[in-house]
Amino acid sequence: MDFSIIELDDEHCALQKEVRAFVDEHITDEVRANEHDTGDNFDEGVHLAMGQRGWIFPEWPADRGGAGLDPLGARIVELELMKGGLPWTLWETTRWVILAVEKYASDAIRDDVLAGAAAGSVRCCLGYTEPDGGSDIAGAKTRAVRDGDEWIINGAKMFTTGAHMCKYTFLITRTDSSLPKHKGLTMFLVPLDAPGIEIKGLRAFSGERTNAVFYDDVRISDDYRIGDVNAGWAVLHGPLDVEHGVGADVTGLKDISAGINIARQMHWTLDVVTAWANTPGPDGTLPADDPVVRYRIGAVAVQLEAALHTPGPAGKVKCSEALNDGAAELLDLLGPVGLLSYGAAGAIADGQVDFAHRYAQGAATYGGTNEVFRSLIAEHELGLPRAEFPGSRKFLTGSGS
Amino acid sequence: MDPFELRRLDFSLDEDHEAIQDAFRAFFAKECPTSVVRAAEPLGYDAKLWSRLLALGVTSMPLPAESGGDGAGMVELSLVAEEFGRALAPVPLVEHMVASRLLAAAGGADDIVADAMDGSRLLGLAFASLSSPTLVSSAAVADTIVGLDGDELVAVTAVGDRALLPNQACLPYAIVDASAEKRSLLAADGRALFARAVREWKVLAAASLIGLTEGALGPALEFVKSRRTMGVVIGTLQGVSFPLADVAIGVAGGRNLVRRAAWFLDHDQDAEPALQFAALAYAAQVATHGVTVAQHVQGGLGFTVEADASLYFLRAKGWALAGGDPRQDAARVGELRLTTAPTR
Repeated sequence: MDFSIIELDDEHCALQKEVRAFVDEHITDEVRANEHDTGDNFDEGVHLAMGQRGWIFPEWPADRGGAGLDPLGARIVELELMKGGLPWTLWETTRWVILAVEKYASDAIRDDVLAGAAAGSVRCCLGYTEPDGGSDIAGAKTRAVRDGDEWIINGAKMFTTGAHMCKYTFLITRTDSSLPKHKGLTMFLVPLDAPGIEIKGLRAFSGERTNAVFYDDVRISDDYRIGDVNAGWAVLHGPLDVEHGVGADVTGLKDISAGINIARQMHWTLDVVTAWANTPGPDGTLPADDPVVRYRIGAVAVQLEAALHTPGPAGKVKCSEALNDGAAELLDLLGPVGLLSYGAAGAIADGQVDFAHRYAQGAATYGGTNEVFRSLIAEHELGLPRAEFPGSRKFLTGSGS
Repeated sequence: MDPFELRRLDFSLDEDHEAIQDAFRAFFAKECPTSVVRAAEPLGYDAKLWSRLLALGVTSMPLPAESGGDGAGMVELSLVAEEFGRALAPVPLVEHMVASRLLAAAGGADDIVADAMDGSRLLGLAFASLSSPTLVSSAAVADTIVGLDGDELVAVTAVGDRALLPNQACLPYAIVDASAEKRSLLAADGRALFARAVREWKVLAAASLIGLTEGALGPALEFVKSRRTMGVVIGTLQGVSFPLADVAIGVAGGRNLVRRAAWFLDHDQDAEPALQFAALAYAAQVATHGVTVAQHVQGGLGFTVEADASLYFLRAKGWALAGGDPRQDAARVGELRLTTAPTR
């Protein structure tokens, strides 16, 4: 057990300064304004500049395009960039996908993809969810059919966030519908510029942009297959476990759950409201002088504290619920002025609380709905028997699971 | 926790921690089954269990080496408190440990500390001012109650038996009237000493509530794994499994929060001063929700006296309230947040 402040040697101190200078130089007001306009949560210029410094994969050696940092160095890079407001979506998804690429990609594409990802020119998004499938990603219906050395893909995916800024999508496809549900799946790294792909933008009411992606007779080489045919579920497991926050950390230098970025939104939001409470209102009184205000801020802070301490899949649920409940409560506390959005005259902190309240709704679904996580906890942590639904056997023809 | 601060986030237990945890878990499993908890009602005290606990060193553990103790830290004590809570042990262990540390820190009460260490004298804590008669959760069995009277830190020793006031939690509640008991002054201005003791109590009480909640979860899980309705095991129903998952989520976060709050008291007590209050406020919420879910998933059987679920349910509130309204702890967290400049 150790929660001490980490004393930095000269080398790590210099790195911290370097990342802070990077933030000042690259994560500019223009980047932030653009982020509000596009809802991309990604900035290519910043990402490429990170790639130049080896910070997309900070622990990779320099000859692979990394910065050769130790785990502490990587932690410094991550904390400083996130504190600086890095638009991070594709940094995260690319790193998850690369876990599978490293392990399973064909010799024909592996090195180019890894080098491009480290440089920043190659980004990857997640092609998991389908229009009528929701969180049941193993129920994928998008079909891939072999044709000689190629595959022909037909189907549609939803919520492929960042597809319009990525070279590849990490696609889960059905390659054998006669096999049990989890056994007829194959993963591909599909180039998004292939003919037959159409990307349609979708806006969330938080302002974030995601995409629907349609695949109409898309032909790709077998080189883009990731892992064995019909072994997709095992291939997906590595990236999915990281996304769900499953797995132990022994360094004390990692976030303890996948909900951390959601909790960080709550942290910023609470800071905004704390600053508001410490600022005299029109009548000259401080909101913070009101014990009711102090209690309500404290009650939200307790839930945030709990969220920041909740590990693994449980942490994802707790972080999103702390934000969901907390943002709604803080909006009530601010009153109508809290509703003023980014760009409105008089909006508090550029409408951060308004944004958090909108963003929270999606946060309960990102990476799988909170219900998916509850099922995971019920089955794996509490040892409750798994529910049998008709869909569990949808692709089952013989006996077996 | 500042989610951008460069601190280690290592919640792992070392071998010594695990040894403490194993020893106390095994002890309570053997010496404190629910039949012992029931037999101790309504007083909430089992003298035999207390004497067996002495052999495990629970009274010397919390005291510093200068006082002849074993010098355990708050992290170690929180592990003990969690196991104590899981077993619903009918002894005022948390109050005794914190009060003995407070007396040792105050100095000048070596005789009481010596008695507390050999277990011959039970100590309790008064959270409200002792300037007027006040309700104390351990006073029907504790000999000496430590608390503030104005700014003064005082120890109040009973001259006769204090009458038990029967209560929901089967805790040994009684009135302490300092004017009618033997009152000794420990410090003219004991506020800082007492404030530290309160933070220690918050952490250990929170640890015991987390243990209690997980204890309640055990029989509830066993029940829903075997009970069937309309042809299915009820544990497969999301209306049953999801509330239980929520309890587990609360326990997991509450436990980490407790341990980190304990660690800060041991290593960096001025940093994150709200942690201990947040730990208690959250543990009280987790326990209130947890015992309710745990009894409810057992349907009509859950709220019968025969069901062990009732034992957890009836104690959760009483343990949390022994130190006052947990919402005041949330208010305290708010005050501390407001007086610390935002980081952005």
